[in-house]
Amino acid sequence: MNWTQSLFRLVEPVVPPRFVVKRLLLLVPVLFGVASVVFAILHLAPGDPAIVIAGQRASTEQLEQIRQELGLRRPLWEQYLSFLWDAARFDFGQSYSISRGNSVRSVIADRLPITLELAIYGQAAGILLGIPLGIISAVKQDSLTDHVTRIGALTGISVPIFWSGPLLILLFSTYLDVFPTSGRIDSTLFLPDTWTLFGRELPLTGMITVDTVLLGNTEAFLSAAHHLFLPALVIGVYSTALISRMMRSSMLEVIRQDYIRTARAKGQGAKITLMKHGFRNALIPVVTVIGIQFGTLLGGAVLTETVFGINGMGLTIVTAIGVSDYPVVQGTVLTFALLFTLVNLVVDVTYSYLDPRIQQ
Amino acid sequence: MSSDGQIDRRSFLTAAGGAAAAATLAGCSGDGGDGDGTAGDGESGDGDGTASDGDSGGGDGASDQTLVYARGDHPENYDPQQTTSGEVAKVTNQIFDTLIQFAPGSGGQLEDALATDYSLDGTTATLTLRENVTFHNGEEFTSSDFEATWRRFTQSDYQYYLGDETRSGYGPFTLGDWIESVDASQDYELTIELTQRYAPFLRNLAMFAAAVLSEAQIEAMGDNQADLGTEPVGTGPFQFDTLDNPNERIRLTANTEFWGDGPQVGTVIFKTITENSTRVQDVINGASHITDNLDSSGFQRAEESGTATLLRKNGINHGYMAMNMARFEPFRNRTVRRAIAHAVNTEAIVNQIYQGFATQASQPLPPDVLGHNDDLDPYPTDKEQAQSMLEEAGYGDGFEFELATFSNPRGYNPSPVQTANQVKSDLEDIGLTVNINQFSNFGPYLDYTSAGRHDACFLGWYTDNADPDNFMYVLLDPKVSMDAVPDGQDWVSFDTEGYSTLNVSGWANTEYMELVREAQRTYTEGDRETMYQEAAQLAYDESPWVFIDYAETLRAVNEAVVADSYTVSSVGGPYLNTVELQ
Repeated sequence: MNWTQSLFRLVEPVVPPRFVVKRLLLLVPVLFGVASVVFAILHLAPGDPAIVIAGQRASTEQLEQIRQELGLRRPLWEQYLSFLWDAARFDFGQSYSISRGNSVRSVIADRLPITLELAIYGQAAGILLGIPLGIISAVKQDSLTDHVTRIGALTGISVPIFWSGPLLILLFSTYLDVFPTSGRIDSTLFLPDTWTLFGRELPLTGMITVDTVLLGNTEAFLSAAHHLFLPALVIGVYSTALISRMMRSSMLEVIRQDYIRTARAKGQGAKITLMKHGFRNALIPVVTVIGIQFGTLLGGAVLTETVFGINGMGLTIVTAIGVSDYPVVQGTVLTFALLFTLVNLVVDVTYSYLDPRIQQ
Repeated sequence: MSSDGQIDRRSFLTAAGGAAAAATLAGCSGDGGDGDGTAGDGESGDGDGTASDGDSGGGDGASDQTLVYARGDHPENYDPQQTTSGEVAKVTNQIFDTLIQFAPGSGGQLEDALATDYSLDGTTATLTLRENVTFHNGEEFTSSDFEATWRRFTQSDYQYYLGDETRSGYGPFTLGDWIESVDASQDYELTIELTQRYAPFLRNLAMFAAAVLSEAQIEAMGDNQADLGTEPVGTGPFQFDTLDNPNERIRLTANTEFWGDGPQVGTVIFKTITENSTRVQDVINGASHITDNLDSSGFQRAEESGTATLLRKNGINHGYMAMNMARFEPFRNRTVRRAIAHAVNTEAIVNQIYQGFATQASQPLPPDVLGHNDDLDPYPTDKEQAQSMLEEAGYGDGFEFELATFSNPRGYNPSPVQTANQVKSDLEDIGLTVNINQFSNFGPYLDYTSAGRHDACFLGWYTDNADPDNFMYVLLDPKVSMDAVPDGQDWVSFDTEGYSTLNVSGWANTEYMELVREAQRTYTEGDRETMYQEAAQLAYDESPWVFIDYAETLRAVNEAVVADSYTVSSVGGPYLNTVELQ
């Protein structure tokens, strides 16, 4: 039995392939819809790409030449069809402005790991803080700890990142001067493009904390972690709040179940019952929330990156919209949509595995 | 169920539960863990925050030092022929040289650069080139490098032509419209034939877009000319080392073979901090040494910080409100335009809204530029006079018009929306109703004003070459044929053949047009000066714009920079080759 067969055997009984294929096919209309909306908005919005490229000093003739070459004089339906065809191949052409002369693909390849890294750390902070807080809150229901946790969670959900981010910068960077104001690493530390494994040169991941570890550069790693702390915290607060609230309500529901009472009646200790029977079952809806939350974190990255000046996908979208760099806007928005739908797919598959009724 | 390597729900949940329990334990002790992490990071951060200073202090000689320049944007292509962006020019001016350059801090005077002698006679420019200059790739600089540079930028029949959709608008504007041919038959002599007499030509050669590229590099790039900006090679004081797009930084290293002064530091890093307040804090903290493009509150913070200073210089720019005669009929009446100029309180705008970091404008040309008319003072604010002028013009009952404005600060108008509100309020006092049409993005805004769809609009201009033609002809001459202007009319519509949309007021005063066109062909400085002074008087009298301000050029500089080693320039630069660190 080769490895593909083993893999198939491993996966096949867990989630029926038909279910996964069906969900994958459902991605097509979603992405088609997003692509169409993005195309429509950009073509309805004011702004002439020719001026973006040639600048204020360009003559009317030069602008017209550029419009012709970009195909902007073709009928709209023709432009739309060619856009869809290119989008299907994930080819959005070249950036007009923010990365002039480079393909949108390379822009995305540069930026995506930055955003993913931020979202992963934000998610990690959310899980590490949210789950214990939720459990404590549920176990000590209606106590002072519970009230404080719940108020904290509500506040965390309610306070927008564009407010909490600058406040944290003001406190930790301006007044206390313990964290840097922006960026991902100290401005004087530069990393090479590749790292070496067993004498082979390999490309870096683009995630700076991972790369500094791969390169074995402790100083750079500490600097990267130091720079990442505040932005990850800002994203993590929202995530923590949501996870802890979900964990609390799920836990409260579970500990009232008959099987918990039975376990206790059999003489099992409260802590063991809680962790062995209660916690595991209470985790099912939380896993779903964590998955969906990861998609939301990507959205949160737009604000966080803007506030902290981190050059990920979020800041790129904002900048590209600001300078009418349409190919970059199209590429990044569709990538976000693709990521979001893929994360949801993974959540669905996981959930369907945990609760087979969902496959019906 | 769990046999044969398969995973069942129970074992998955066990694993998930175990992981989560571990997370719980970690989370329960998370306070302590995070606290440790914070403290440790904080300690290393303190060191990081002043790392560049640390380097400076630790260096034996000046060449080990690292100068950090903080800016608000990080373009990713550093080809001087592919951009009109000042952010790109800041970097390319360190890497490339021009044939002639603006003397640091002079307000636009020319001095030798790659050419040691130059003259313009009739339609022929003759330049003697500097010998023994090498590009960063080791190639020797000769006249053929300039020829290749010009051809790449403007000649579509050249094998390595950059392409219409890739080159910037500066291609025709700087060189293409004016150069007929280039004779580079001798290595260190360059003869350039012009299409017509054109007085600003030598100044065009000093613009960043006219930077001399390496012919060897152009040829080596082959069909990939658009990529030249990711590995630029010039003859300047610093050579390109690292373009770190994910972290929005650029590292340049000293060119030890540089022909001119300096460089005094071994490394220059351009870092990017988008937020104005964060950027100025970075300079105050000493993590960066120089920054620019701050708003007035940022400059004030630098001035009051004690660790940074504010360097100020008269700017060569102009912020104005254009009244579009082609679209809005009342603006065709000169008395109405002058009444509006009397009603708008530009003194309040400059002193209160721009907090004194600009001066009131009196005419299209800023001070320090040839032809600035010292006899002209800004229109005095006098609303009673303005009201009676409106009545005299037959508009005593007032009228309503649209004032288009961009939203984000620009150097010549750091608070556009507040300025628009001030104008609205001033004009309400004389019975005019102003509807502010606010644009969030500058690109679509330019699109709108270039099409002449505004009644009135805010715009401004930073000089390209510090020549009066760059304001007087570029912004206020419609560039149409004299015959296209109907008799007795001083405006034309935007769809007139040859119309330049940089003239957003539609103004077409034939007397003015004759003057600035003649001045463009006149080489005697005294005669040119007189012509521009007359033209400035005409523009003042006719008021196609409300002249608002000339913004100062301002830089926040950390105390680590040796005083007077950094010279602020209103055109060209920044001149980082002379900067020394303590």
